[in-house]
Amino acid sequence: MDESAILAELSRILGEVLDDATLSLGMTTERADVPGWDSFAYINFIVGVETAFGVKFKVAEVESFPDVGAIVRALIARGAAAKGA
Amino acid sequence: MLFNSYAFIFGFLPLALAAFWLAGRFGRDAALLALILASIAFYAFWRPFNVVLMAPSMALNYLIARQLQRDAEARPGRARVLLLAGIGFNVAFLGYFKYLAFGETVVNDVFGAGLILTHVILPLGISFITFQKIAFLIDVQAGRIERFTLRDYVLFVLFFPQLIAGPIVHYREMMPQFHAAPCRFRAEDAAVGISLFSCGLFKKVALADPIATYVSPIYAATAAGHPPGLFGAWFAALGFTLQVYFDFSGYTDMALGLARLFGMQLPPNFNSPLRASNIVDFWLRWHMTLTRFLTAYIYNPLSLTLTRKRVARGKRVLGGRNPSWSAFVPLLMFPTVLTMFISGLWHGAGYTFILWGLLHGVYLVVNHAWRLLRPRLFPDAKRYARWARGAGFALTFPAVVISMVMFRASSVAAALAIWHGMTGAGGATIPAVVLHGLGTLGRSLRALGIGGSASSGAIFVHGWLWLAAGLAIALGAPNTLQILADHGPALGVKPAPGRRVIWRPSAGWAVALAAVAGVGILSLGQLSTFIYWQF
Repeated sequence: MDESAILAELSRILGEVLDDATLSLGMTTERADVPGWDSFAYINFIVGVETAFGVKFKVAEVESFPDVGAIVRALIARGAAAKGA
Repeated sequence: MLFNSYAFIFGFLPLALAAFWLAGRFGRDAALLALILASIAFYAFWRPFNVVLMAPSMALNYLIARQLQRDAEARPGRARVLLLAGIGFNVAFLGYFKYLAFGETVVNDVFGAGLILTHVILPLGISFITFQKIAFLIDVQAGRIERFTLRDYVLFVLFFPQLIAGPIVHYREMMPQFHAAPCRFRAEDAAVGISLFSCGLFKKVALADPIATYVSPIYAATAAGHPPGLFGAWFAALGFTLQVYFDFSGYTDMALGLARLFGMQLPPNFNSPLRASNIVDFWLRWHMTLTRFLTAYIYNPLSLTLTRKRVARGKRVLGGRNPSWSAFVPLLMFPTVLTMFISGLWHGAGYTFILWGLLHGVYLVVNHAWRLLRPRLFPDAKRYARWARGAGFALTFPAVVISMVMFRASSVAAALAIWHGMTGAGGATIPAVVLHGLGTLGRSLRALGIGGSASSGAIFVHGWLWLAAGLAIALGAPNTLQILADHGPALGVKPAPGRRVIWRPSAGWAVALAAVAGVGILSLGQLSTFIYWQF
């Protein structure tokens, strides 16, 4: 899975959490850029990503992802993206 | 030494800055040492014993952090135990000073134990300092802080602009700034710093304090068994909301300005919170660094663990088109209410603060439940968005105002008495002279059942005029961070689109800010502490 495929998958997961099928995330998207993406939705999203990609983030990591790109890079670094969803 | 005192503004601050810049000529290390000494002097000025109390706790935290750093990679199990011990120590340290007497009160109330309350003098700023120490240990264990020295740790804990009441900072956002600071006079730092400090001083002494003179007597009378009627009760609620907002955001502007004079940026703490259109939004705009702390170190870990467990058991989680309501209580209600309970208790050792926290916990739960329900009730998101802002504000603002009564009242009974007054059940009167002066309108009000009282008409009219002015500023005026947004008044502040009032280093702004500072300085005199300095 390459960067854009991961982004598409992340968009789908967040779209499900926020009930917005048109949602599209970019590498530089931050939480503040997406309406309704509060801490509650964020945790749901993270657990959704963990389930889909078969990974587990550290709590400290979850807290300090500055943007979507950081999540994508963390997934690639874990090689988890190879498994795909 | 209060920020709003002659001794601070004309004594301590110029001396500290001069020492910092002078030492800066001998290099950054000398300047940072001067800053540490100034911070210790600032803290010791209140009560030298504060420093004696704080020093061993800082030393122990530093040693734990060092050991954590060594163990984090090699022996993660031991690091976890050590981290828990470190957090336990800090919570116990805070607990002894802040909660011992309240704990005894609770035991007395529940078991009728008749314990004599132990009165311990609270070291200033202990709640804020403790949170920062805990965050530091967690960050070291998580590998978010790679290197630190004793000097850096002391600077991080004691940096005087934010020592007593925040903003609550992260080591990783402050230390790179200290390590890169030019440690000399820079015109932009001075101009932005003085502007922020002046605006903050104005908010404190020209807005918060005058409003307090009208509000405090109502709470005092209520505590003495004379609760207010409809108008007095709403005045007490609205007035204190404005007072605490101008007091705390004024303090924060002053802290930001002071840090900037030394070339440092602090994180923002307020973003016009009273304009929030829902309670989640309110907490993202009010005491933002506390929300950030509670979210990062309590809510997120708790919520993440609970959500993962539920997923592992194959159960459905919340979110999406068809939320599972059986997940609502364990995944949302429980972590949210618990976090806000801790927030309430952190503010003050008393039933009122706990109930204030729980009330906001309930507000947040309702807000989240609505977010889950809304798509079903109003499927057209665009049409919903059109009126949601106004309606949301109309619900959120009174909810915040009502909660502030519990925050301010001296007891739960006093808060309930004011809430009772706000319903109108305690009668409604306004001064008879005002009723008379209103002519026809006054007669209509009488017909509606509003009685005349013998209290002062001047105090009534002046009080409501102050309130109206305060509301207009809090709800309508641009905030200081937005006015200064082009010049980095706080970390991560970006200019909002469509803003009209923009700070410039121009003659016009100099005159305007000199007037603001002048009013602030001329209003100094009475010793008036900041509400949040008691926490």
